[in-house]
Amino acid sequence: MESQSISLIKEDIAFLDRPMIGCVLVLVLWGIVCIYSAGAGSLGQGGELAVKQTLWLFLGCLALIVVMIAGHNRLLDAAYFIYGLTLLILLFTPFLAPKVKGAQSWIPIAGFRFQPSELAKISLILMMSKFLSRYPPLTFRTFLAGLGVMAVPVLLVLLQPDAGSALVYVVISLGMLLAAGAPLRYLGGLIGAGAAFLPFVILFGLREYQRMRLLVFIDPMRDPLGAGYNVIQSRIAVGSGGFWGKGFMMGMQSKLRFLPEPHTDFIFSVCSEEFGFVGDVLLLILFAVLFCRIIGAGARSRDPRCRIFVAGVAMWIWVQMFESIGMSIGLMPVTGLPLPFLSYGGSALLSLFIVLGLVESIYIENNKFRSVIHALS
Amino acid sequence: MPEIRDLLEKRLKILLSCLLGSMLFLLAGLYYCQIYQGDKYVRLAYNNRLRLIRFTAPRGEIFDRNGVPLAVNETTFSIMGYPMDLNTPEKLEKFSTVLIRHGIPMTVSNLEQIIKKQRQAPYRVMRLVPNLTMPQMADLAADADFPLELFPLSVWRRTYPAGAMAANVLGYVAEISEEELKAHAENGYLGGDLIGKAGIERSYEKFLRGEAGEEAIEVDARGRRVRTLDSHPAIKGEDLHLTLDMGVQKQAGELLKNYRGALVAMDVRTGAILALASSPTYDNNPLAWGVSGQEWRRIAENPSRPMMNRAISGIYPPASTFKAFMSISALEEDVITSSTTFNCAGALRVANRSFRCWRHSGHGPENVLTALQHSCDVFFYQVGLRMGIERLIKWGRRFQLGQLTGVDLPGEQPGVIAGPEWKQRRFRESWYQGDTVNYSIGQGYILMTPLQIARVYAAIANGGKLVTPHLCALSYQKPRDLHLTPEKLALVQKGLEYVVSRGTGSRAGRFGVTVAGKTGTAQNAHGPDHALFVGYAPAEAPRYVAAAVIEAGEHGSSVASPMVGALLANMLSHPAGQDQEKMVTEDGSTTKQNEDVSKAHH
Repeated sequence: MESQSISLIKEDIAFLDRPMIGCVLVLVLWGIVCIYSAGAGSLGQGGELAVKQTLWLFLGCLALIVVMIAGHNRLLDAAYFIYGLTLLILLFTPFLAPKVKGAQSWIPIAGFRFQPSELAKISLILMMSKFLSRYPPLTFRTFLAGLGVMAVPVLLVLLQPDAGSALVYVVISLGMLLAAGAPLRYLGGLIGAGAAFLPFVILFGLREYQRMRLLVFIDPMRDPLGAGYNVIQSRIAVGSGGFWGKGFMMGMQSKLRFLPEPHTDFIFSVCSEEFGFVGDVLLLILFAVLFCRIIGAGARSRDPRCRIFVAGVAMWIWVQMFESIGMSIGLMPVTGLPLPFLSYGGSALLSLFIVLGLVESIYIENNKFRSVIHALS
Repeated sequence: MPEIRDLLEKRLKILLSCLLGSMLFLLAGLYYCQIYQGDKYVRLAYNNRLRLIRFTAPRGEIFDRNGVPLAVNETTFSIMGYPMDLNTPEKLEKFSTVLIRHGIPMTVSNLEQIIKKQRQAPYRVMRLVPNLTMPQMADLAADADFPLELFPLSVWRRTYPAGAMAANVLGYVAEISEEELKAHAENGYLGGDLIGKAGIERSYEKFLRGEAGEEAIEVDARGRRVRTLDSHPAIKGEDLHLTLDMGVQKQAGELLKNYRGALVAMDVRTGAILALASSPTYDNNPLAWGVSGQEWRRIAENPSRPMMNRAISGIYPPASTFKAFMSISALEEDVITSSTTFNCAGALRVANRSFRCWRHSGHGPENVLTALQHSCDVFFYQVGLRMGIERLIKWGRRFQLGQLTGVDLPGEQPGVIAGPEWKQRRFRESWYQGDTVNYSIGQGYILMTPLQIARVYAAIANGGKLVTPHLCALSYQKPRDLHLTPEKLALVQKGLEYVVSRGTGSRAGRFGVTVAGKTGTAQNAHGPDHALFVGYAPAEAPRYVAAAVIEAGEHGSSVASPMVGALLANMLSHPAGQDQEKMVTEDGSTTKQNEDVSKAHH
């Protein structure tokens, strides 16, 4: 019995999407190299951080395999339950979590700091794919219902307050609504309404520092050193990288601790300073291949849930990547979102590997199905 | 269904092309920044024309409860410069000669050291000479040889008008150390920043610190300012108003002047500390301005340890002051009642050992009232034996002995209430009845800070509520009700009144206010006994509690009790005392004030 299940796992692993896994591993290893370099400055803990991140990588791979064996079908079936549970955890996070940098978003469990808002991304994607395939957002009512599913966790993380995560949830959900076939006029109307409300949100809904970050983005001359100081430093780091970069461990900006949080939020600046434009292109190619593989895995599936699911996963990785890279060259406002796979951080890496496990599970199911069809024909 | 499947397939394709398209956009941005170098900052940094200056923010000021300034900022000047402008030894030599000419003894190697320590990036400003006065600076700047690339910058420096009087409360600020930089990596500190090192300056660092200002300027080839690119003003830190009353604090300091020890005074209902004196003390002003290693060692390695705040970090046996705690817990456990009487014959034999009463001739029959009044040891030996160590420790935990009081100062000691397990662990010895006997008069394996002793008496005075001592309303916490029986508490209060009105602590009652309290004489293995007195006043409606611990002060009744009496009388006659009354007349009004303050901080 046991050997049978082991051989089943082996079979699954044989069907793995190798290009996707390859891309991810290269990205994470590259990230570890950058973390080592970023931490080696006056932080003086590059080695320590790199070792920790490597351990998280192993843990992530393990999680990927476990989730893959559990299978996307099982988790999608339990999506309502998982979603409900996550909402409860989010609801209680402010009471359980000690304040870190003014935002309550970490819950310490057995010595680990665990971030419920990361986990909530997974359950939101699961929930949306199940809900939107059951009630396609083709009519106005079902479209609104889909928005409702998104709104609850968004409001809960805003209470923490964690505006960065809320933004990610919204973008993920909009992408999934698009993928689920929502009429373009609804989506356009929604974005238009959002844009119209934006001034009010900026005036009344944001905290002073958040408002400043946005205003700085709109008008960099307003207060670039106050809120935009990080951006100047990051732009100098990226810009001084040039075509070939300064080489591994040669970056000055990160070494001299000019960049705030060089190993997390500003990891791209470190990477870009040391590996230059060539490195950036390579990095973007890796992400592009990853998006193609993720969406490809869903596109081949016959299950509409899976198609919507992969859209959510791709949107998640995309929005954080776009924001993180855009921020480091002043194209986007500073929000403090980590760059997927590269930034230092266990919770974030682990939850990414969990969703990738689900994508793999979808991929493997198609592959098996196809090979059976192939064998039959 | 096939339509929707087609739709989904189409939508996924749209989505993927959007994602890939957006990446081309990023690529264009990166090209602009890295290859085309259109970015203003990158260009200037490349041509060595960008300079970034950081202004330290004025720190929030600290006042006592009446607005007396305790920590203020003074303007001084620093000479600033950029590493890229000081890259040759000749430039340094020239600068050094100018400095020496004006009486500032800084050699080239001094300057090199300073540069090495602060250098971060070529365009990042460094402080070359700190702490100059206005005349010094004007003198220097007027010198024809003064390097043009360098410039003066006004800097806020901390001074403490009360000096040694409140140094143990306020602490001091100094330049951030390497370790602190690492520990505070997330809070945006840079080398050269000031940080609270001790006391209130350290515990409220977050509020006091403010936000540093920044300026980006463009300079010409010789390092002179062409234009300001961007600037962001420094934001002053938030001012703190302490509960400390400088009048009382000063008196406490003077009372302690010729002794080693601590004197604390606090409001029994809120835990607001009015005085927290520790002797010997130190002057925090030179520390804030930067002292030489030698001076630092002179203070830090002084054998009488002036930098230790004895009120919160000194741990002493509570001695007979522990008897009030013994009485209330024994009454609550129904081990004794108001009529329980033990005969004191001058000593008690327990397991072949004789434990003496301080009065060798004995007190005769004693009940709880008279035993407190006379501080009869034998009575409490009996009480302790009847209670047993487990119940004693249970009550100790309830009064949070052996735990931090949570006062808003760094370096607090929790003290010790050690039971059988602790003794086993520490000495590999089992617990003897004799240990319990010692325990019941506050000797042996029990150690408390003066603040903890005051806190226990505050709870006895205020009807059984354990307050959180604090120096700033931001740290106010609602007192915890210990659920003590009012009649039993009243009995202990009565006993403590007797101590002063007709017992061992009569010297505390000679200042015109009714005091209730307890003396103590703590055995000291290293020399003469420590003297203790803790009391509250007015005895009939308690407002303030004060505790004195005088190291090697012999008997509590002679040295410590008049100090507490004088302090309590001063607080009750002091105008601030009246203010305080208004503040806490209705329960919860202080809480409200506290909320307002914390709101203001968000």
